[in-house]
Amino acid sequence: MVQYMKIRYGVPFQIPRRLGDRFKEIVGIKGVRYVRQQGFVVSDKSALDAMNRILIKMGLILVPDIRCFICGMDVECDECSYKDVCKRDAGSCICSTCMSREDVVKRYYDTQRTMLDQALH
Amino acid sequence: MKMLWTEKYRPRVLNEIVGNEEAKRELLKWIVDWQRGIRDNPGVLLTGPPGIGKTTAVYALANELSFHVVELNASDYRTAQSIYAKVGHLTQSNTLDSFTSGGVRRNILIFFDEIDGIDPKADTGGLKAVLDIASKKEVPIIAAANVPDPSSHKELLKSFKVIEFKPLTPRQISILLRRIIASEGLSISDEIIDKIIRSSRGDARLAVNLLQEAAAGVDIEFVSTPMENLPFDILMKRLSSSLSITEIRNLLNSNSSQIEDVFYAYFDMILRSGSISLEEKIRLLGEWSKLDILFGRMNKKRYFSLFRYINMLLPWLIYSANRAGAIYDGRIPQYRLRLFILNRGAREELNNLYNTYLKGRLHCSYRKFVLEVFPYVCGYLKEDEYPSLTKLCKKGGYGVTW
Repeated sequence: MVQYMKIRYGVPFQIPRRLGDRFKEIVGIKGVRYVRQQGFVVSDKSALDAMNRILIKMGLILVPDIRCFICGMDVECDECSYKDVCKRDAGSCICSTCMSREDVVKRYYDTQRTMLDQALH
Repeated sequence: MKMLWTEKYRPRVLNEIVGNEEAKRELLKWIVDWQRGIRDNPGVLLTGPPGIGKTTAVYALANELSFHVVELNASDYRTAQSIYAKVGHLTQSNTLDSFTSGGVRRNILIFFDEIDGIDPKADTGGLKAVLDIASKKEVPIIAAANVPDPSSHKELLKSFKVIEFKPLTPRQISILLRRIIASEGLSISDEIIDKIIRSSRGDARLAVNLLQEAAAGVDIEFVSTPMENLPFDILMKRLSSSLSITEIRNLLNSNSSQIEDVFYAYFDMILRSGSISLEEKIRLLGEWSKLDILFGRMNKKRYFSLFRYINMLLPWLIYSANRAGAIYDGRIPQYRLRLFILNRGAREELNNLYNTYLKGRLHCSYRKFVLEVFPYVCGYLKEDEYPSLTKLCKKGGYGVTW
């Protein structure tokens, strides 16, 4: 049975499997690196796809966890109408609930201002 | 003249930039730390494809924190001498590292745009100068690059803090468009907006340009498409099988770096094609010659504005050639052959052939011989005498009697 595991781009994670020889194969993928004591870091979807081609043999599939920048909820990429043209390698997006709001532009800018102000202080 | 919306709606502060939120936060944090005296890295390198807000983020950051940006485009300043002359003095004395603008004292920020344009080998000391200036850690330095080469820009990638910018997601592009549509009071159909979002492929600048063109009534089908950069062979196959002018134009626009190669490849195809009648060949080659004059003027005199005419005419000529029966058979275009003569054996055989037999008879330069004569005589070479050359010719599809 295949196990699905959510990961975030650019954020280290551990693989719950004994990799053995496959470790070398995985860190050799362009866009995948290993941070000692923290785990693997995947930068984009093409790297994730390449990694999944190896991990699926061990019954594991990694799926990107892209959060809504405004509300923090799961974006649910599989239900997005643009899934055929999206590379899904951005760290965040905007969920359909937030997109359907009238004031989405204002809310986006406000959320960003709050985040940047936190970085300033 | 109407202002470009990419300029009119260029964000002035960081939170107005859509997308790459984490990258912007990192950039802001780095500069704030720099101001506080925490200077772990001598500079920041922003990487990512064009049109996603790298340069805009630098200017917005400078605007928010009152920095004066001294920008150097690496396409203009490549050598160590020119870089030191332009910004070297800014790092020599603390008393000089601020500007007064509009009564506000502004610190300096040096911005090297398109730094991947500096070749560490060909551009003597250019990259070393950038690293040297940065290593003094007197002035914050930000560099931007589309695709830094891991081997030739190794030092830069190692010492600078790398912040990756990614193409925007379709929904982020939608946010960007919504803002402009609301500000301009436009009424554009959802279908066109959807087409813009899909065509832009995460390129914010392209999306805004497409929106402006759509607002002016231009059909989105006919405006530029994002860069595709197909392998040359695939591009030629797709072009020669296209019987629609729109498809040819879109293919050329999305692979514009290969336009000159396509031009010469088609010249070769028309010349050798057995299915095109002689009259049609003469007509097509006549048209091709006119375009060749444009190419020549553009390259020799650096009149790049002529490119718009080439861009307009070439799709029509390719369309005519395809209709006349020009077929791409995978042969390397004649003028590109020189690039393939890289192996030593073939080069030596070619030199030998030219110097021993042909130099005195042809009265032309070696270059002219390689480009214009050799492709049409190589079919007569003896395989035992010129093994490397004959092998190369077979590989390139040359030596065909026509």
